[in-house]
Amino acid sequence: MTPDIQYIGETLWPGKLAHLCVILSFVAALFSAFAYRKQVKTKIEDYSWRRLGRAGYIIHGIATITLIGLLFYMMGSLMYEYAYVYNHVNDELPKQYILSAFWEGQEGSFLLWMFWHIILGFILIKTAGKFESATMIFMALIQTVLASMLLGLHIEVGDFIYKIGSNPTLLLRDTFAAPIFQTADYLKLLEGTGLNPLLQNYWMTIHPPTLFLGFASVTVPFAFAAGAYYSKEYVDWLKPALKWSLFSAGILGLGILMGGAWAYEALTFGGYWAWDPVENMSLVPWIILVAGVHTNLVARNMRRAINSTFIYYALAFVLVLYSTYLTRSGILGDTSVHSFTEMGLEPQLIAMVALFLLIPLVILIKNYKHVPSIKKEESIYSREFWMFVGALILLFSGVIITGSTSLPVFNSIMAQFDPTFEGSVIEDPIPHYNKFQIWVAILISIMTAKTIHLFYKKEKMTSKQTRNFAIKQLIYFGIAAALTYLTSLWIDYYEWRYTLLTLCCYYTIVANFALLFSNLKANGKTLAAVLGHAGFGLMIIGTVASGLNEETITSSPFVMRGLIPQSELGESVRLIKESPFYVNDYWLTYEGDSTNGYTRNFKVKFQKKDTVNDKSYKPFYLEPNILYNLELTKVAAFNPDTKHYIDKDIFTSVRGLPGAQLDVENAKALEDSLDYVIKVLNVGDTIKTRSGYGVLKSVSFNPESKDFLAGGNDLGLSAIVEFKSFRDKEYTERAETILGLKDNLLFQYPYLVNDLNTKIKLDESTFDNFFTQENELKYTEVKIKTGQAFDFGGKTFRLTGFSDNFDNKNYKAEPEDIAIKAQLSYDTTEGPLEPIFVIRGKRPFNIKDYDVKEGIHVRLSYINPENDEFTFLIAKDDRIDPTVNLMVAEGAPRDDIIVLQAKIFPGINLFWSGSLMMLLGFFIAFLSNRNKVNA
Amino acid sequence: MNKKTILAIIALIAGIAIIVIGSKDVSTYKNFSDCVEGQSVTVSGFLDLNKDINYDPENSPNVFDFYMNDKNGTTKKVIVKQPKPQDFERTESIVVTGKMEGDVFLASEMLLKCPSKYKEDEIRIRAEI
Repeated sequence: MTPDIQYIGETLWPGKLAHLCVILSFVAALFSAFAYRKQVKTKIEDYSWRRLGRAGYIIHGIATITLIGLLFYMMGSLMYEYAYVYNHVNDELPKQYILSAFWEGQEGSFLLWMFWHIILGFILIKTAGKFESATMIFMALIQTVLASMLLGLHIEVGDFIYKIGSNPTLLLRDTFAAPIFQTADYLKLLEGTGLNPLLQNYWMTIHPPTLFLGFASVTVPFAFAAGAYYSKEYVDWLKPALKWSLFSAGILGLGILMGGAWAYEALTFGGYWAWDPVENMSLVPWIILVAGVHTNLVARNMRRAINSTFIYYALAFVLVLYSTYLTRSGILGDTSVHSFTEMGLEPQLIAMVALFLLIPLVILIKNYKHVPSIKKEESIYSREFWMFVGALILLFSGVIITGSTSLPVFNSIMAQFDPTFEGSVIEDPIPHYNKFQIWVAILISIMTAKTIHLFYKKEKMTSKQTRNFAIKQLIYFGIAAALTYLTSLWIDYYEWRYTLLTLCCYYTIVANFALLFSNLKANGKTLAAVLGHAGFGLMIIGTVASGLNEETITSSPFVMRGLIPQSELGESVRLIKESPFYVNDYWLTYEGDSTNGYTRNFKVKFQKKDTVNDKSYKPFYLEPNILYNLELTKVAAFNPDTKHYIDKDIFTSVRGLPGAQLDVENAKALEDSLDYVIKVLNVGDTIKTRSGYGVLKSVSFNPESKDFLAGGNDLGLSAIVEFKSFRDKEYTERAETILGLKDNLLFQYPYLVNDLNTKIKLDESTFDNFFTQENELKYTEVKIKTGQAFDFGGKTFRLTGFSDNFDNKNYKAEPEDIAIKAQLSYDTTEGPLEPIFVIRGKRPFNIKDYDVKEGIHVRLSYINPENDEFTFLIAKDDRIDPTVNLMVAEGAPRDDIIVLQAKIFPGINLFWSGSLMMLLGFFIAFLSNRNKVNA
Repeated sequence: MNKKTILAIIALIAGIAIIVIGSKDVSTYKNFSDCVEGQSVTVSGFLDLNKDINYDPENSPNVFDFYMNDKNGTTKKVIVKQPKPQDFERTESIVVTGKMEGDVFLASEMLLKCPSKYKEDEIRIRAEI
């Protein structure tokens, strides 16, 4: 842009080094993939290609980790010359959020993903044994593709410019054209944009790394499947792949669950799952992976369903890439609340998905016939048959979710062919997804309940065995029915489908635990399966309880129900400060707010009242808050607060505030729109408004408020008006409005009388009625000695002595100063006037003292050392007409209200504990399988 | 017929059933001018910043209204039954689902898209040096 400018203060070496790392990372990964492929193809006892492949991967790892380190260093040192640093941090960002700021950006999140692939790759190099070369081809290949996302190349083909990757090491002045870059030391003027305040919490620190470890670990089972087929090893991969897919299912599940917990705890989504496209597309790979885990178990034990396992693992991996495409290409745009900025990488992302769809497809087509299989069909009495069916149901579930979520992709494809194509959109996503997934959950529950009691390879059951099996299942079902009934005393199912769903979930919980207690040979693996299945059941029951029985405390009062349709009921109520409000069995009181940094907390008291038995419960407090932006001019985020009980949560968030409090611009616009009328008042005068009246009680010269603190030469004047209401005889409010002179600028501090919707402030002309500016004062010169007195303005002033206390807001003593502070006493309540005379570096000057109440200004201008005579300058404010010009506006909106939403989520702990139990199942399974492999 | 064929047929039937049932949950993107009164539609467009956004939390905390330009440039008043989201004025594009009633669009769902919400289009300069 302006190459001839010699910029000052830029640190260029980290950027150059980082860019080198970007290129090295890409090249080394590509080389590693190539070398490992060569090794697989050589098939002889010469491992030189493998050594090269390893070296390539290690160099790739070092380059990428160095790149990450350099970016951190640049962000930590606030090097705003770099676009990535400028866009994600700023001076005020607390250091603990540097990690969050790093992966907030797309480039950073790609790097986080790559980082985990590197770690997993290193583990594979160490542990994969004979599968090392074959698996590492694919690890290195995906790393090559991901590294290409950081290259930042622009290729011109005809009129199009294709962008390959987005380089995180670019300088700001190369990405942004602005006049500021004409200045050589522009860096001194720059301030970063910082991290979105919504993301400044610990969830943003822990959720992305977990989720990306989950995503990265999905690659490993795929790498085993593809690598094994590619090197014609069709069986031995099943053991290590199972171990990895169990690990992956646990971690990915945990990552998704954390996302839900974040949404629930810290965001105002009002729930943990909303079937948002971004949520869906992280869930689907997990579902497919879980299907793969089950066919993998069958395959390992029975040598059946090996091809199915291959397909599930490949599909799970491609779906991770597809979800990356959906969330990062901007195609979801209109359907997702998770907004991602477009980077212009759509073609590259599509190519990535296509490539990794094609590779396993080709490998599968070339190999599937050579995979050992058993011709004879599975018996319906065998466990493997039903596990296979269960996996199919999971696949089906994933396909349905993906299909609905991909509607925007379908729209976009159709629009390519037909520009007039009217895109379609799912109107109400939550019921749409629930409608189908409820049946998936029902079927899965039934499958897991009975299949776990079947045995592998069982060809037939004798009639006695069948009878025993049926009786047992009937008992479990009966217990489940009893539990379902008991639960119905606590929560409503509303319709038969949810009753059936709950019944089936209890069925699997009972059946699975029954296995654990009846089977004496139960080991870690049995425990894992039981926890996984029962956890699933418990999780779904929790969803039914909390989702279906979610109750809004703050919905319109009970009497309105039935009169207006449910959807028309408001979900929030307006609370006036310190005025309790009764709604749906709760007394809600907004007690006040406090500001701490960027956060403003609203204290709301909840007191449950049982009207039937006239019983009051112990009150509790919740403090939802709002977060202001960095300039404190606007509200950036609303954060909820939740009270946790064992059987329910009470969730509350501020949904709205008076416009003036949301935004400084709104506040200005509102102030301008008010219709002020000037009233000229003397103390004792009354002003009338529509709803009340006010009496000017007094005028104060020492006003104090949190907004106005006088210092230096500042002056303050306030009018104190006592308001009364026509409606409420008890009501009285003391309103003090200030007019302040700060650094020679006049400021008005209005007072809003909320209950009367009246706002008052002092007109600026009032100031001149009370104070005379220094340059307009007419000083009189007086010369007196100690003890003498003089008359001025009807008062007698006497030089009574001197003070050693030089404490004065206008004077800071310096060591070399010679200073004298005289005391002029006179008839006043304010104490003597104390002007100061100073000689600093042989130059004399003086500090004035001022009695604001009497309006008297005094200076000590000269001391004659020969005759001890003191020269004073004295002047008086021109207060011919000390009236108060009060501006009064009626119809001002209140500013002491909040719009609050409060909800009850019953049984939400069942959801959390069920989910965690299920994930614990995966981890126990992982550990049990790992031990066996090692031994 | 072997079991896998049976499973495939079941899956096929279920799949078709799901597409048939699911397609009823879909509505098309429309412009205001195409809306038939009372029919639920989705309109995508932009906030009209020249007209007022009304939200009065003091008296009606659960409703606010604004004017929206659809992609053909037609402007209609939209009423949404929810408190006004923070930062609404900075929204780039809006997607509303609901019904046209008279000359007013009653939205039951609203989705805001603010890709540049926190990315400013100007270089940020230090307040003081």
